[in-house]
Amino acid sequence: MNVQMTDAAGFDPISLGIIWSRLIGIADDMWTTVLRTAVSTIIGAAQDFGCEILDAEGSSVAHSNRSMPVFNLVMPTVTRAVLARHPITTMREGDVYITNDPWLCAGHLDDIATITPVFHQGRVVAFTVTIAHASSIGGSLTSRTVREIYEEGLRIPILKLVEEGRRNETAWSFIQENVRTPDMVLTDIEAQLTANDLGGRRLVALLQEYDLPDLTTVAATIQAFSERAMRDAIRAIPDGSYESEVVTDGLDHPVRLRCRITVAGDEIAVDYAGSDPQSPRGGINCTLTYTKAHTVYPLKCLFSPSVPANEGTFRPFSIQAPAGSILNCSVPAPVGSRTRTGWHIHPLLFTALEPVVPERVQAGNGLMRSVHVYGQERDGHFFNAHFFVGGGRGASQGRDGIGRNCFPSSARNVSVEVFEARAPVLVRTRSLRPDSAGSGAWRGAFGHQLEFSSLPGYDEPVSFFLDPDRLRFPPRGLAGGQDGPLTEIRVNGRQLTPEEIGSGQLTLAAPADRLAVDVPGGAGYGRPADRDPALAEADRAAALVSANDSG
Amino acid sequence: MPKRYAMSVDVGGTFTDFVLCDMDAGATVAFHKVLTDAERPARAVIAGWEELLAMAGASSDQVQYAVHSTTIVTNAIVARTGAKTGLLTTSGFRDVLEIGIEQIYDIYDLFAPYPPPLIPRHLRLEVPERVTRDGEVLQPLDEAAVRTQVDVLRTAGVRAIAVSLIHAYRNPDHERRIAAIVTEMAPEIAVSLSSRVAPVMGEYERTSTVAADAYVKPLLRHYVTDLLDHLRRLGYRRPLYLMLSSGGITTAEAAIEFPVRLLESGPAAGAFAASFYGQTTGNEHVLSFDMGGTTAKACLIARGRPGVAGMLEADRVHRFKPGSGLPIMAPTVALIEIGAGGGSIARVNELGLLSIGPESAEANPGPASYGLGGEQPTVTDANTLLGYLDPGYFLGGRMVLQPELAARAVGRFVGSGLNLSPTEAAWGIHATVNENMAQAARTHLIERNQDPRQVAMVAFGGAGPAHAVEVARILGIRRVIAPLGAGVASAIGALTAPMALPLVRSYMTLLDAADWDHVRALYDGMRDEAERAFAGVTGAESVRYGAALDMRFAGQYHELRVALPGGVPEREHVAELAAAFQAGYTAEYGRAPGGLPVEILNWHLTAELPGFAFNLAKEPRREADPNGARKGERAVYFRRPEPGYRPCPVYDRYGLNPGAAFAGPAIVEEREATVVIPPGCRVVVDGYRNLLMSLEQDGMAR
Repeated sequence: MNVQMTDAAGFDPISLGIIWSRLIGIADDMWTTVLRTAVSTIIGAAQDFGCEILDAEGSSVAHSNRSMPVFNLVMPTVTRAVLARHPITTMREGDVYITNDPWLCAGHLDDIATITPVFHQGRVVAFTVTIAHASSIGGSLTSRTVREIYEEGLRIPILKLVEEGRRNETAWSFIQENVRTPDMVLTDIEAQLTANDLGGRRLVALLQEYDLPDLTTVAATIQAFSERAMRDAIRAIPDGSYESEVVTDGLDHPVRLRCRITVAGDEIAVDYAGSDPQSPRGGINCTLTYTKAHTVYPLKCLFSPSVPANEGTFRPFSIQAPAGSILNCSVPAPVGSRTRTGWHIHPLLFTALEPVVPERVQAGNGLMRSVHVYGQERDGHFFNAHFFVGGGRGASQGRDGIGRNCFPSSARNVSVEVFEARAPVLVRTRSLRPDSAGSGAWRGAFGHQLEFSSLPGYDEPVSFFLDPDRLRFPPRGLAGGQDGPLTEIRVNGRQLTPEEIGSGQLTLAAPADRLAVDVPGGAGYGRPADRDPALAEADRAAALVSANDSG
Repeated sequence: MPKRYAMSVDVGGTFTDFVLCDMDAGATVAFHKVLTDAERPARAVIAGWEELLAMAGASSDQVQYAVHSTTIVTNAIVARTGAKTGLLTTSGFRDVLEIGIEQIYDIYDLFAPYPPPLIPRHLRLEVPERVTRDGEVLQPLDEAAVRTQVDVLRTAGVRAIAVSLIHAYRNPDHERRIAAIVTEMAPEIAVSLSSRVAPVMGEYERTSTVAADAYVKPLLRHYVTDLLDHLRRLGYRRPLYLMLSSGGITTAEAAIEFPVRLLESGPAAGAFAASFYGQTTGNEHVLSFDMGGTTAKACLIARGRPGVAGMLEADRVHRFKPGSGLPIMAPTVALIEIGAGGGSIARVNELGLLSIGPESAEANPGPASYGLGGEQPTVTDANTLLGYLDPGYFLGGRMVLQPELAARAVGRFVGSGLNLSPTEAAWGIHATVNENMAQAARTHLIERNQDPRQVAMVAFGGAGPAHAVEVARILGIRRVIAPLGAGVASAIGALTAPMALPLVRSYMTLLDAADWDHVRALYDGMRDEAERAFAGVTGAESVRYGAALDMRFAGQYHELRVALPGGVPEREHVAELAAAFQAGYTAEYGRAPGGLPVEILNWHLTAELPGFAFNLAKEPRREADPNGARKGERAVYFRRPEPGYRPCPVYDRYGLNPGAAFAGPAIVEEREATVVIPPGCRVVVDGYRNLLMSLEQDGMAR
């Protein structure tokens, strides 16, 4: 850690540094445990999960470096909700709590949180928490059509999944009877419990080794350090009020998001007043918990990227959004596709802050996509697999957009070979999509082109469940850079209109049928005329930019 | 009868090291060190070889055994100096190398970069063919298209072709056919097949591995051929053995078949050296700490053997962070490496903080004090200013350091930016690089559940002994061993390594449903491969085989390696394997889910022959007084107990006899390295002339 801890209350700086990195290491061990013991493509292959250690108050202390960013940021909320329902004195060793409530947790039912109190010397000293995206939570397969959360699957209230080491069979069977591929879902929940247990054991060993009665002083010390780093960073940018607006696809009509960012001293307030009301159909609504997480995440990236994050990092921020708006929806709004709105918070904030930190922001992102297949193999067992693919990121001042990632998710893509092994499907193409980057002095990263069919010999129709974004509104350029392209979806070569895509369920009836998905690249930064001719030539030589393209 | 010798040569990024050993006496005769020739590494090897033999009064025909470790493969990948290489892949997948796994490896870094692929897009070509998940041919290979694409690549001037087809780990036929066509059309082009180099599921990792293999193949083949030619001309008649990343040695002929297995050749040799010194000093667990000119490596050797990982990342482009490099699926000694070495450049970063490396001045221009034109301050420059290095005795006096250039560079690039005196800035550089290395080593130990207080550090590499005690202090390690020849330890390690070849085949099956005849055929194939690799090696008939299986609960994406002593897994091992897997899983994760079937993915076979029986002769204890070795005194800077320069005795390493005992502050100089012994550290010289140092821990680091 490249930091000096001079005012570490009660700890010499070396011990504190060791303990801090050990805590992060324990969260990393939890993360690795989930990865290694899960069985679904979405967790075991695409890595859509996160792990964190929180103190006895439910404040975050350390998370894994690979954790899903948004999950890290909602874990304190869900843990405090557990504490509000189950006072700490009522907790017993061996208890594990579970919930997927979108208003308390990660914004849609698919993300299940498991919360394990960690006991040391007879009392709760910490929580180990894992949130992972279940491969199924039941409900509709087409998130775009639902009208209320009740259609989206099983809503698990805060309850004890394990009580003093004994499984709550009622809870387990409720889940088992309400999800698709239940063995897969339950094994993944087991993976979460295994990770929490392992994290708890390692944490207790750490406390014993350092002869600490609890985590209180350590947590307060490192939270204060991260908080101070963030406050210093905020103080370095000019006070003022910065606004912006983005328009997203929405479903039946475009959705407008607005923000006002107020920088005052060492604090930042973000207000989403003026954003559109919640959508009555299709789960594109964000709960406030989720909105807050997608607000502080990009701000952390902009202002204090290198200091390890914890509760302290996020104290200088306050976020509000009007009740009933698409960024603060209320029950029973559907929320399954909340990334369709929430991921646009990043360009919203980047655009607002471009005048203040032009060298740190990025132009519009093509955005990653998931292609979900579900059905029955010929031997009768059900398949249920997710194929993740990244979109190109936008360019920045001084550099082209960085591809090779699923930002703002920390998931990885799914290997073609792994995906095909899990479903009777062929991926016939996954390659870079030429001319898919917004041009500019610095161009975006390229998007991808995908083509799918069913596996010859399978002989049954195969349904693909898509939830495409950027069908109407492309990634936006910054500082004179050009926009990226739109998403294109074709069946047997014919491009579908947004209306034809409809629910997002596209079924290939015969092995000769083809589904093509072109994912957009990122937008450009700066005027295309200012692009270095050598860079432009390199793109043409790689056949990624057409010869007649000015970029 | 003329003496018989064994020679070991280690080509590092900065220096090429040599050890000559008397095979009958079982003792090292001489060490040697020359600057690595980046342009033609073989030239420095030959020059040093001749110089060392001349020093020992021996000739090449007396050398009966030569073993070689080298960073040439790694360097070619990092510096992108490998061959112009093409890729042939299944239609639709030319960009697998450029798309990667699409994961941000630092979630808060918006700009975290990735390494450019080894093969550019215009040399990545597609051929129509397709195999399914079950290995069935869906679309036959279009051989005419293959010929067209090979022609395109040949015209473009490629010297190597990597072949990676979708699901080739299940059915390698199309890849093999492509290899035959390339060989027929263009025998001068080297070919690597993904189904041979890394027959594992996951097209990105497999393609990345085979691309790296092809990329370095012409270069390694040329290097080894060139080197053998020269050695033959000098009169060396025996085979040349090369050190693999996995910690075994194999013949040069077998090594150049799969050059990617040599990526961590030098570090693997270093780990064996640490293991050897751990055994000779009676330490069960050791942490090898190897600091050279460009990088530092740490490796835990628990119970005498380093761990082996199935994958490594080459060319990490962003501060050595996991995820920022090229994945290589090849068995590798599990170690951690960071960009911290004598040549690491110090600067004041954008936050106004001192930062060291990972950029290195390397051998050329080198640190400012080399006087070869380097202007930026390095760790070596700081060490010179602090009095740790004697400007007149660097590399035993073969190179003169210029402290005034070091002072100027440190003052100008660091001191002024931080408002520090050159001495304070120099200490800042030394202390910061120590912290960085300790942090990396600590992570490595924690990942392996190893308490630092239970290990002894073995310090080597040209810069290791100058930093070891401070790094140990930060980690809470209480014993540090500075072996004689610390500066050439990798070369010593290679002499102690067994001859070993790790082999693997993929065959995914439920344990209960395995086709054991097929398993037998897989193992027969691997044994054939091992026998071919060991052909002509003395004692090849006594090869020992060990099997291991990668197992998991059905549906999981990660496996647990379960070892099965003996040659071949058979049907009657099913219950034993299931139990071993359950036990291993529970040990790893604390619990195991019930009722899930167990799956086997990869089948391993390791073939091993005992290596050359390297030994050191133990000398009796002599006087405890080190004064006979005292060669002078100089002012050396220490931080504790009070910061400042203090007069410090300097001992000649070669004059320190077994039994000598003294306390820091002290400096011990040998030709290849300098041992810095701070106040509060006690030293005893053992019967092998190793310096055994004990630290008083003040409880700070716990």
